[in-house]
Amino acid sequence: MSTVSTFPLQLDIDSETLASCVACGMCLPHCPTYRVTGEESASPRGRIALMRDVAERGEADAAFVEFMDACIQCRGCETACPAGVHYGHMMETTREALASQTRYQPRLRRLAYRALGMPRLLGFGSRLLGLSQRLGLMRLVSLLGRVRPFRQLGAMTASLPRVPVRQAPLIASGDDVWLFTGCVMDAWMRETHRAVQAVIEATGAGVALPPAGAACCGSLHLHAGLASDTRRLARKVMAALPGEAPILIDSAGCGATMKEYGHLLGTEEARRFAERVQDVHEWLAERVDDLPEGAVTSVDASGPDAGSPVVGRGAQRLQIAVQDPCHLRHVQQAHLPVRAVLSRFFDVVELDDDGLCCGAGGAYSQQHPEVAAAVRDRKVAAIERTGASVVASANPGCTLHLRAVGLDVCHPLEIVAEHLPATEA
Amino acid sequence: MILPSRSAVLVGYGRGVVSEDAAADAALLADLRKVLGSRARDNDFERGLYSRDGSIEGSSPAIVCLPETAAEVAEIVRICRRHGRPFLARGSGTGLAGGAVPVGSPVVVATAKMDRVVEVDTANRVAWVEPGVLNLDLSRALTPLGFYFAPDPSSQQVCSIGGNIANNSGGPHCLAYGVTTAHIAALEVVLPSGETTILGGVEAEPAGLDLRGLFVGSEGTMGIATKAAVRLTPNAPSVRTLLLDFDDVSEGSAAVSAIIAAGLVPSALEMMDQRAIEIVEAFAHAGYPTGAAAVLLVELDGLPGGVEAGVDIVREVAQKHHVGHVRVAADDEERALLWKGRKNAFGAVARIKPDYYLHDTVVPRSKLTEVLEKVYRIADAYGLIAVNVFHAGDGNLHPILAFDRREPGVDERVKAAGRDIVAASIEAGGVLSGEHGIGLEKRDYMGMLFSTHDMYTQDVVRETFDPDGLANPLKIIPTGSRCSDSFHQHVPEGAWV
Repeated sequence: MSTVSTFPLQLDIDSETLASCVACGMCLPHCPTYRVTGEESASPRGRIALMRDVAERGEADAAFVEFMDACIQCRGCETACPAGVHYGHMMETTREALASQTRYQPRLRRLAYRALGMPRLLGFGSRLLGLSQRLGLMRLVSLLGRVRPFRQLGAMTASLPRVPVRQAPLIASGDDVWLFTGCVMDAWMRETHRAVQAVIEATGAGVALPPAGAACCGSLHLHAGLASDTRRLARKVMAALPGEAPILIDSAGCGATMKEYGHLLGTEEARRFAERVQDVHEWLAERVDDLPEGAVTSVDASGPDAGSPVVGRGAQRLQIAVQDPCHLRHVQQAHLPVRAVLSRFFDVVELDDDGLCCGAGGAYSQQHPEVAAAVRDRKVAAIERTGASVVASANPGCTLHLRAVGLDVCHPLEIVAEHLPATEA
Repeated sequence: MILPSRSAVLVGYGRGVVSEDAAADAALLADLRKVLGSRARDNDFERGLYSRDGSIEGSSPAIVCLPETAAEVAEIVRICRRHGRPFLARGSGTGLAGGAVPVGSPVVVATAKMDRVVEVDTANRVAWVEPGVLNLDLSRALTPLGFYFAPDPSSQQVCSIGGNIANNSGGPHCLAYGVTTAHIAALEVVLPSGETTILGGVEAEPAGLDLRGLFVGSEGTMGIATKAAVRLTPNAPSVRTLLLDFDDVSEGSAAVSAIIAAGLVPSALEMMDQRAIEIVEAFAHAGYPTGAAAVLLVELDGLPGGVEAGVDIVREVAQKHHVGHVRVAADDEERALLWKGRKNAFGAVARIKPDYYLHDTVVPRSKLTEVLEKVYRIADAYGLIAVNVFHAGDGNLHPILAFDRREPGVDERVKAAGRDIVAASIEAGGVLSGEHGIGLEKRDYMGMLFSTHDMYTQDVVRETFDPDGLANPLKIIPTGSRCSDSFHQHVPEGAWV
């Protein structure tokens, strides 16, 4: 009815795949963006119908781009789908078509993504950011954000976590397993890696660390439609982690992407590499008996000794609410091992939201702050209903997104590492 | 615009339907925007997305409205009335009879944003909720308080209370607890005149005629519900779920009748045939016996002593009917897994064919075997695959015809087979629909069950609510039933009308 300017778009999704959705709607309640908007265009069923339409007509318009860009790519719909529709791959193909045939990803953003694969630049930038935050310079940037052209920059900087200026290096301890360290996580949250390494070592295994060249898995690029960047980074990552040793990942988003290297690169080498990739909890769950008993199981909350640790039997176990990162639960289906590890030390408390996304979505919370915040509100309510004060989340994006509203969120293995008996070393 | 991806059904123009006119649409949109701002949409993409529900019909609306309050709904209806434009309410869009398919360029009023549980009154066992609240969300919100909302359609995780009211929805557990109308105490509705009123009441005996009962199941033809007082059912103290498998479909259906004849009213009594078992198992991995010809899923609830006694009776009856295995779910997790399989059966059909046409008829329990055999024969005759998953306890059949719409001529075959299945059900003394409603799908079959006089009377009642014919027009009652159209088929002997 309304006249809209269209542009050609070649969407290479075969008709078999497009027809696999029968539009039953079972995905709707499991889609975070449908949940907060109640709009078909923000649902998996709606997006597939739109893809089908564009694929048939060979053209799209700005509204189509907006609808596709609004997907968090949590893939909660795949878990819910009785027909087994591969929504994630369809969305990745769509984003790739948009990025390669249109100006879907502006040049500045492409450069930012590219920087993730440059560890020196990323490290330098992060230190600069950390320093600016400490010197109060970020206040200036946020003031600048009040002026229209810099509004987005202002919003982005306001939601950034406090970034460390100086971090001690990690030290390799053997070659039983690789611990993949990644890009932003290594620059901003290296202490998480340190804790994860300690827990792996507590089983008696030695940990090898990749050289700086294996900086970024390419996950964010893939979600942005920059799949060729992902392939380029994947080759670097594969070269940096040779041998047969398992490759352990402590970031759900990275693990999900690295497990798909076989699909992405289509080579035998990539398939073999992908088979070595495991979420660290999957590896630990099989060795949970090798972990020492936790020394401290709870903290006395009342009485004359309030605040002092209660040791040994009879102590009430700490209650931990588990927030499942989507790329662990819906993509890797590796959320149960997290419970297997945590429950050795703590009481695991489940959320009642069927693993609905928290709204972080890699770079999504930066690019769609309003939707991300609305999605997060539902998650915060679910966490509050559990009554637990500590939340475990095995993905840095979710952790930062939830911490931004004041929740005490840690990587599950950071909590475990704190409760390991002190080592003699 | 997006053409409905399945066969577009264009239905004849009747009263209340305005032909597409760009100037009229623009004026209507301008007025709706004054109330809703950007929540009144006319872009081609979104009109396409609201052109379908869960059925295989489709037709684009003129404008999609996304109201957030009852006051906005009333405004929309008043504007539509002023412009002489039809309107229809839509919940989650999972209906299977085309009730939410917008025929005749209407305004779609999507209530998904109205999803608040307004008030829970456990003392009176009533909760006021908005129409966009999802069925399962409501039960989950009530569980900690010791209650739930009893009607549980298979789509309960996604279907809305508003949609349940429109279709008077059922579900596996309606065998013991009754369908939606038994669980709606009162309704706040916007009438087609644009006025808001309350039908029924939360008190025990509301005064006057039971207009609430008339409204529930009227598929949006008498107005739009903007708030409902739903009755709360206490959580059962004890629940047992059994899975029985049979080598023979007829033994399974005979067991269904025998269980009820033994004096039990299980809270649910479901049946699946061999194809359904295979499909469901591939999705749910619940340990369904893929070799069996049929399984029965039986659930008993109540006080523990009674439930255990019931389990023994079911076991005895099943053994008389040569049951293979009797599996009693050990815990809630196992129960949930069995139900997960049952409740996702329809979507899971996509594992064999990309499209499905799901039927909904009711036959007397004693005729289950006979009608099932006919269903298989009909599907064979049209070269289609039939899958059966249904509410055996109340004789509510749900034959699913799986097909691929890309095969030439398949649409006609599917529709013809559907018609034959409906005819076979009615011939066996059954009715058109158990719970999905009439909508578009069964509208033209009404004459198979009702006389011209019956339909005329139904239309007069509808006209009392909606004299201008603007509320979800062209649904339920075939066009022309006000005139002297003759319907050559009449109600057979012994039909359940």
